[in-house]
Amino acid sequence: MIPAMRSSRGTKPDQGSTGDFRSLITTPDAGQKASLSLSDGSRIAVIGGGPAGSFFGYFTLMMAQMLGRDLDVTIFEPKDFLTPGPGSCNRCGGVISELMVQTLAVEGINIPSSVIQRGLSSYELYTELGDVSIETPTKEKTIASVYRGGGPQDLVISDKDSFDAFLLRRAVEKGARHCARYVDRIAFEEGKPVLFSGEERLMQADLVVGAFGVNTWKVPQFEGLPFRYHRPRMTRTAIAEIALDPDYITERYGNSVQLFLLPVKNVLFAAIIPKRSYVTLCILGKAINRSTVDVFLAHPKVRALFPEGRLDRLACMCLPMMNVGAPRRPYADRIVFIGDSGSTRLYKDGIGGAYFMAKSAVKTVIMNGVSRKDFAGNFMPDYRSIRVDNRFGRFLFWVTSMFRKFGFLNAAMLEVVDKEQADPSDGRKILSAILWDMFTGNERYRSIFFRAIAPELVIKMTWSAVRHFFGGSHDR
Amino acid sequence: MTTDELGRDYEDGEVVFREGEEGNVMFVIQRGRVRVSRTTGEGEVTIATLGPGDVFGEMALFEREPRSATVTAMENSRILSIDKTRFFQNISRDPSMAFNLLRTLSERLRRIDKEFTRLKKRRLEILRSGMDLKETCRVILEEASDAVQAENGSVMVVNPDDGSLDIVAAYGTDTPEKARLTLGEGIAGNVLATGSAELINNVTVDPRFKPGTLSITSIICVPLSSETENFGVINLSHTSNDRLFSKVDLQFVKSLSVYASVAVRNAISLLRLKRATEFLDLGITSFPGAGEGDGV
Ligand SMILES: Cc1cc2nc3c(=O)[nH]c(=O)nc-3n(C[C@H](O)[C@H](O)[C@H](O)COP(=O)(O)OP(=O)(O)OC[C@H]3O[C@@H](n4cnc5c(N)ncnc54)[C@H](O)[C@@H]3O)c2cc1C
Repeated sequence: MIPAMRSSRGTKPDQGSTGDFRSLITTPDAGQKASLSLSDGSRIAVIGGGPAGSFFGYFTLMMAQMLGRDLDVTIFEPKDFLTPGPGSCNRCGGVISELMVQTLAVEGINIPSSVIQRGLSSYELYTELGDVSIETPTKEKTIASVYRGGGPQDLVISDKDSFDAFLLRRAVEKGARHCARYVDRIAFEEGKPVLFSGEERLMQADLVVGAFGVNTWKVPQFEGLPFRYHRPRMTRTAIAEIALDPDYITERYGNSVQLFLLPVKNVLFAAIIPKRSYVTLCILGKAINRSTVDVFLAHPKVRALFPEGRLDRLACMCLPMMNVGAPRRPYADRIVFIGDSGSTRLYKDGIGGAYFMAKSAVKTVIMNGVSRKDFAGNFMPDYRSIRVDNRFGRFLFWVTSMFRKFGFLNAAMLEVVDKEQADPSDGRKILSAILWDMFTGNERYRSIFFRAIAPELVIKMTWSAVRHFFGGSHDR
Repeated sequence: MTTDELGRDYEDGEVVFREGEEGNVMFVIQRGRVRVSRTTGEGEVTIATLGPGDVFGEMALFEREPRSATVTAMENSRILSIDKTRFFQNISRDPSMAFNLLRTLSERLRRIDKEFTRLKKRRLEILRSGMDLKETCRVILEEASDAVQAENGSVMVVNPDDGSLDIVAAYGTDTPEKARLTLGEGIAGNVLATGSAELINNVTVDPRFKPGTLSITSIICVPLSSETENFGVINLSHTSNDRLFSKVDLQFVKSLSVYASVAVRNAISLLRLKRATEFLDLGITSFPGAGEGDGV
């Protein structure tokens, strides 16, 4: 109903009230409103060519081309993503989730084997009391491990393409311009943002998209915004690359991401992701530093995944930040923040989150406009849905940490999963599916939460937990 | 075993799904090629061949009908599957995710429209050509090469006058202007003599191979025959190293040859008939006194 009313007003102004019509001409505010949308020749500046920026460029141009509109997109990205080492890498575990792989395939973006380090199909979950293996429902390789840059520092030349370079190229193929400069200041001139690199004026734009992540060494300064851009809440994490023989990796790790819920001090959660000739260790937790990595690697369950005496060879190591809390207001007139510099999904599938918010922004600027009202009405609901979902996520992670702490819960979980996996007639495998979705990023936390409190599962778990609590684990 | 690919492996000739089966999954090709085919009253008809990035099986997502076609891998391929529930969950969250698929579908529809027009035109052509032998062979060749995407092809028919095997229609680069073979010579000659179709993937080591100017890597050779005799062959070949025919390709050309044989047979009969009538005509026009006789 509402769009119909709007459009009839737009096409026949003489039928609206005369007051409306006059105010369109006289008040500068209303005049400005009318021009806060993109038209042929409009210029868009994207700050950052990580997944969020490249997705934004790609899909903006795709949609504009479908509508026969001619937009000009420039992506500012100083990294080449091909030189080995942390300097040209957007540091992360490099897991492209099942959901992301499939979504991109439907969108016509197929990750080529030149980018894929390993095709993966399962998760191995290690807990203090036992381990669980969780397979993809389809039993096919639907998860990709990749490098976000040119690979670990000790590589002389990278032997593979990088995911971020691949995405940026796709955006450029669609017609985006790539400018290898950083942006450190945005000022407004006559209501339009102007981008600067040092003293140099780069361009004036009709829209600026902030997609610079949380690991930037240069947070762009926005001058003259009606609010201060607050960076997201962040936590420090650790990533280490360990060189191993490719055959050893294939044999020992198979097609599995290794997940750890172990009681190591300050470590909430860790993962080891098999690549072609390295494995990537990621650690999340509190007060993470270099020594956390050493302590973690010394745990017997972790040691068992490496050949004797090879542990101290870290090929690359960094302590990147992770987004754990979105800024309240990620937009203004002609400005929007996406990806890690906006909001993303807690602890998982950051690239999927970047995709989701990039598309939400694209739809808003193409179908609606670039004013703060347009963002408030169209982009914010998606933004908020991630924030709300992360609250469920935080709760689920809290529960997970309880499992890590209390042996009887841990044992109960293992028992239920074991039974589910062993019973071919159990087509639903509730808990296994929940764990799968929780760590893979396939489902929203919210729906996992509601499945986790489903009566059937609660009964199974309680029964099992009670028995373990009283030491009655005889039938295991 | 490859470690850097997604999806699942399908071997050359492996069926991904069959016409009539239930389906809840859509597929995206990561590597390789597949053939989409349908069974008609007269046998298997290829609707399309698809390659990397192409989507198939999507019709089952939108309707609750069984699979409308069979999809077979034409070489070792890697294919990713996407399940229906997942797909719709995503589309309902972000309808623009369907744009790419819609574009693919409308491109496909456009192609089918074009194909439909082409077929109608060709039907007229065939009717009009009155089943001229050359034209018949050309149509057969076009049909065969469309389906198996061969780099070169020819149709050879036995010359009723001297029993040699002559090229009647050809395309590509490996066809000498007029290759003539007597029965039993070369691969084509051999297939003609034995009447059994062959797929040869290391041509140069085959003792029957007659080396020409080009290096041929893969050949399909299928006889044209009636109940009583073999009267021609369909040859298809690749010259690039990385292209090889599969068993499925052979099977397809074989089923095509059944109809091709009938058509060629009829065309030959018609030719004979024409010649007979031409001869009659000739007899009449060269009637002494007509004046224009050039001494034939
Ligand atoms: C330890 C760890 C492990 C993770 N593991 C995974 C995982 O396995 N899977 C997953 O999906 N996600 C993972 N993530 C999350 C993921 O890394 C991020 O969510 C994702 O990179 C966000 O993409 P983005 O484009 O928003 O930001 P980024 O990837 O950070 O890209 C920002 C880009 O902006 C550029 N830039 C910065 N400042 C400027 C400037 N001033 N001017 C111009 N350009 C600039 C940078 O060079 C960079 O290329 C992980 C994160 C951490 C910390």
